[in-house]
Amino acid sequence: MTTETAKPKAQGDWPTLLKDNSRTGGQGQHQAHSPERNVWQFRAGSAVRSAPVLDDGILYVASVNGALHAIDVVTGRSKWKFQAAGPVHSTPSLSENRILFGCDDGKVYAIDKQAGSKLWETPTGAEVWASPVVRGGVVFFGSADAHVYAIEATTGLTRWAQELGGRIYSTIYAAEQHLYLGCGDGKVYCLEAASGKILWSTLTGNGIDSSPAQAGDLLLIGSEDFWFYAINSTTGEVRWKYETGLGIASSPAVSGDLAVIGSKDGYLYALETQTGRLRWKTVVGEVVTAPPVIGDGVVCVQAGGTFALDNTTGRVVWRAALAGAVQSVPVLAGDTIYLASLSGEVYALR
Amino acid sequence: MDRRTFVQIGCIGSASLLVQGLDPMIRAEMAPVAVPPIELHGLPNYKRSPLGMPGLFPGRVIEVRNPSAIARNRVSQPIVRQMLEHAMKELTQEKFAQAAWAKFIKPDDIVGIKINPSGAPACCSSPEILREIITSVQTVGVPARNILVYDRYSYEMDIGSYQALLPPGVRIVGIQDAFVDASGYDPNIYCAANFFGEWETRSYMASIVGEVVTKIINVPTMKDHSAAGVTGALKNLAYGTFNNVARTHRAPYSFTNPLIGLMCTVEPLRSKSVLHIMDGMRQVWHGGPLTQVQEFIDQIGTLLVATDPVALDTIELEAIEKKRRERGAPSLWQHHPNSITADNNAFFHDAAKNLFFRQPGHIAAAGELGLGIADLKQIDHRILSA
Repeated sequence: MTTETAKPKAQGDWPTLLKDNSRTGGQGQHQAHSPERNVWQFRAGSAVRSAPVLDDGILYVASVNGALHAIDVVTGRSKWKFQAAGPVHSTPSLSENRILFGCDDGKVYAIDKQAGSKLWETPTGAEVWASPVVRGGVVFFGSADAHVYAIEATTGLTRWAQELGGRIYSTIYAAEQHLYLGCGDGKVYCLEAASGKILWSTLTGNGIDSSPAQAGDLLLIGSEDFWFYAINSTTGEVRWKYETGLGIASSPAVSGDLAVIGSKDGYLYALETQTGRLRWKTVVGEVVTAPPVIGDGVVCVQAGGTFALDNTTGRVVWRAALAGAVQSVPVLAGDTIYLASLSGEVYALR
Repeated sequence: MDRRTFVQIGCIGSASLLVQGLDPMIRAEMAPVAVPPIELHGLPNYKRSPLGMPGLFPGRVIEVRNPSAIARNRVSQPIVRQMLEHAMKELTQEKFAQAAWAKFIKPDDIVGIKINPSGAPACCSSPEILREIITSVQTVGVPARNILVYDRYSYEMDIGSYQALLPPGVRIVGIQDAFVDASGYDPNIYCAANFFGEWETRSYMASIVGEVVTKIINVPTMKDHSAAGVTGALKNLAYGTFNNVARTHRAPYSFTNPLIGLMCTVEPLRSKSVLHIMDGMRQVWHGGPLTQVQEFIDQIGTLLVATDPVALDTIELEAIEKKRRERGAPSLWQHHPNSITADNNAFFHDAAKNLFFRQPGHIAAAGELGLGIADLKQIDHRILSA
């Protein structure tokens, strides 16, 4: 079976949460060894409730006091800081020379990644917690104002806006011609990327804040109704679904024929993408809401602490009592792991 | 109230507070012998509202039971809708639900819905109940933008996924992001006391309560509480409105009695809190408020509605005591040194263990402060089926 890994076809594309299906932020799959020492530690000034992203030696971290920090990964020192007008819960995305993120002031900001200066901003009617994604020069994102927006990446001008039935916290999966996302009204939507027209919607049993991944012709997404869904991405038909013990706010990571998802019941579940058969499940904390990230042979997740599990067996390989933010995601980069925490600390561990 | 309690309304010198706070660790080793003086600084010259606690129906508690309202941890939206409507009409004796809500809410109100997300995801205010409350408030004419769903800790609200699950337009507000962030609190409205020699002796009221909302609908859950005995309407309001409250309990002692009741008397919290809707879909009878252990969480499908938080919490206390008796667990009133453990894991998995000497007497103490009726014989407890 072939899995679409969401590798961008055009330079600058960032089509899903953390760029690819394995949620590596474009880093590719690295081994994640048990960290032995703290290389540096950076104080962001307030809680970090989104995932850091790494690019070209700079770690970008958004914190809830509205600051976007660019941190030199060699020194652990700030290269620049951009201050937004409201709290930031949105995981940043990268596209060419731009960093994009949403803000509680209702805007999405595009920042020059070299200078840290604002290139453009675009308003919506409510907070934007979802991560903006980019495909073919267009930025797509949903807002808590119940609209999906398509924005020109270079200018910030609006191409279209489409109203859905609920608040949107799910990050869009932008395929070649279609957009997929979950919504607070409990539906999974497929929109036409060019126009925003709704092509199909599939109702689940409760609201959705999980972000979808695509595996072949399947769309994978969790719902607060406790179920993890595999939906035919062409028709919207549910191919299979798997029940967990509580609601799902986590977003799936996919690699090969394996999808890994966390549930608020405290378990990570590894399921075969085509059948929904459970390969393993492992309890990692009291609650899992963050997306896991799939490295080379391991699955890592933040759930109170940080855990690395063998991705074939689900056995916990190592754990670190750091980075309590249950919304953040570890960055696996060669021999270094970067973590952000609820207390506002950012760690480089090796 | 405990006779030793001395409530000092007024200001004592800040210099003396500073001196008392200099060496908290030495005093932390000492067993407290008496409740210290507690200062209450409310909003000056605030005109008390007749809708405020104990509200329009002192002593009346409406309990609606429907075991089908929750199944395998999923709450039924249609059944909850019926239960809430039934309860509101019975509470107010109005024929129509809209008229019942109109007794408490006016179209120009800014309505704060105080939830309890601590303990999420295992037991927290159900989004299904919140949706029904929001819809009901809107039927009175309040626009979505003037409805705020709030609590102290935004990260706990995130775990409950309230942001995604509530209707568009409604504001979802976490007062603070981190444990030490005081920016969302009013420096002029506070309670001050030095319980264990702590450095910071003040607990400030959330600005959203003091300055933004005009009415509060309180949505507590039905849980035991390791320090307070139970966490119900009073505890959810008091410790969810003022910051720096965990300092009132230091194992094994707890000053949740009398502070919970005292905080509820502070204006404008008292006047703005007009309705209490207890989410009894789940009943936590041990390990509260944070337990995730399903063994101690019964899915009972109950909703309780009152304007009197003391009467409501008295009924809650009775229900949890009854459940503990049925399960062979010691009473919440038991103060035996052998029951105390410093091991969180032991506490969470053994109903005979606790972290503090619980203080369920905080409910009766609140009654003595005029917040409601704690005498079971005087409580008009109506049980309905839906």
